[in-house]
Amino acid sequence: MDPLLLGGIVAIATILVLFSGVSVAMGLMIVSAAFLILFDGFGSLELMPEIFFGKLDNFALLAIPMFIIMGAAIASTRAGADLYEALERWLTRVPGGLVISNLGACALFSAMSGSSPATCAAIGKMGIPEMRKRGYPDGISAGSIAAGGTLGILIPPSVTMIVYGIATETSIGRLFLAGVIPGLLLVSLFMAWSLYATLRSGNMAVLSTRRYSWSEKIEVLPRVLPFIAIIIGVLYAMYGGVATPSETAAVGALLCLLIAMVIYKLWSPVAIWDVLRDSTKESVMILFIIAAAGVFSYMLSSLFITQSIAEWISALDVNRWVLLAAVNVFLLVAGFFLPPVAVILMAAPILLPVITAAGFDPIWFAVILTINMEIGLISPPVGLNLYVINGIAPDISLRTILVGSLPFVACMVIAILLLCLFPGLATWLPDLVMGPAI
Amino acid sequence: MATQNSAVLARTGDNPFLRTVAALSTLAGWCAAAMIVISVGITCQMIFVRFVLNGSTYWQTEAVTYLVIAATLVGLPYVQRLRGHVNVDLIPLALRPRARFILSMLTSALSISIVAVMLWFGYEYWHFAWDRGWRSDTIWAVPLWIPYLALPLGFGLLLLQLIADAYAVLTGIDKPFSLE
Repeated sequence: MDPLLLGGIVAIATILVLFSGVSVAMGLMIVSAAFLILFDGFGSLELMPEIFFGKLDNFALLAIPMFIIMGAAIASTRAGADLYEALERWLTRVPGGLVISNLGACALFSAMSGSSPATCAAIGKMGIPEMRKRGYPDGISAGSIAAGGTLGILIPPSVTMIVYGIATETSIGRLFLAGVIPGLLLVSLFMAWSLYATLRSGNMAVLSTRRYSWSEKIEVLPRVLPFIAIIIGVLYAMYGGVATPSETAAVGALLCLLIAMVIYKLWSPVAIWDVLRDSTKESVMILFIIAAAGVFSYMLSSLFITQSIAEWISALDVNRWVLLAAVNVFLLVAGFFLPPVAVILMAAPILLPVITAAGFDPIWFAVILTINMEIGLISPPVGLNLYVINGIAPDISLRTILVGSLPFVACMVIAILLLCLFPGLATWLPDLVMGPAI
Repeated sequence: MATQNSAVLARTGDNPFLRTVAALSTLAGWCAAAMIVISVGITCQMIFVRFVLNGSTYWQTEAVTYLVIAATLVGLPYVQRLRGHVNVDLIPLALRPRARFILSMLTSALSISIVAVMLWFGYEYWHFAWDRGWRSDTIWAVPLWIPYLALPLGFGLLLLQLIADAYAVLTGIDKPFSLE
């Protein structure tokens, strides 16, 4: 059979199986096994455990549970609330300080916790009622938090970027740096829109904020600075070439656990177990998808599908920007349905050769891909963040949350366009810090 | 919708088989968490030895890698029990209860078969390593049957949990796809 046609059949089968409610990792293994049996016979399944094991046999993967523990330890504390309070107290002079500090808190907290839903919950629980009390429109209150929560997969340290780095064998250090400026760009766009929309709603009074005394400002710092210091320390150690991401993350995980225990008094075994259970659950889930996606891409390449798709696309000889637009649409649609990690692991091995052959930078592409995934987090039908917001503010209708999030989706699309026009937004910082890419 | 039902657990009722499997899976989850914590410890020890004592480290990287693999495999049944393996239930949500039940049986049967295959060939792979005395080609030269043991063990426990899940749906103790 023509490998391209076969590729189409595999794609349809994969979509059907993945939508059938079976877990993503299991679905990938089922599809892989089915096609391997069909074309290479039952005996070819013999290699599956070896490939599964081999995919996990990589020290770099340690970074995943380590960064997840860091995030879970931080998310288990009151750090989110403290961060929110700190920013609100420090940003009083900024017009519209409240929505600005909410977005800032989202950006920082989602970067620290690495979890979108945890950020929406932690910051939203305080931020949304406060914004509504002061008269911000419901759509802005909910939308800003939903969008702000997505920043964590872009701003370092990001587990999504680690997974991309491992899947494509690109430098995790570079990927982290590449996310910084686009992350700040997105926050700025979000802030600009929130301010504009609030002003347009005509309620100027909400923009005034409470004044805080210096002692009130200083008092919150000891509770938020340690975590931020650890994250910066971990990143610094990584770029200083002192240790690999996995190693620095392990130290970071230990320190975050200790701080959670010392500063936030997370002493009870139950509370510590909660952190460990959540991080084990999340890590195992991601690592299972990584291993299963390894089996899946083995199936694709042993049936010559990967190679044929790459050849086919290069033979089409389309304009590289048309190609990129098509890839973007594909990613966007995939992101509507599937979690970011699954999209990256399934798409990266197929798309990356195509993208690099068209002369695009893989590090830059990681940023484009990640912003696409962020859009998926606040778009139906999956839009995890929308449901989290719905859970913490049940009296705002899902429709209002969705409509409130749409302008933020537009901000993300603008960011993607800006990145296409000025690729340096993503590549300048990694090149500056780590030297030009070879 | 892609869900990771954090609040939902596999239901067991007071069925002794379901409760035993749930207990086994939970024990496996503790072991997985413990292995992750031990890898934090070993990695920190390695950094201490290398940067503070200026000593050489030869076994830590390999040990930690195998621990993370083992944690993943052994953690599989526990995460299955917590319904933590992210899934997309667009089709089940669109179906009537009867069709949803049939689809859930079908996906269970497929999952059970693939995991059984992984268990079978995983066991064979482990057995090869054991029989032929394979060792890793590093200075540490670990007998490979030790890390490979995680394959049959993890998939075996996952198989049990999947069978228990299917049984719970069949007997009406749990809902198909844990959907209300």
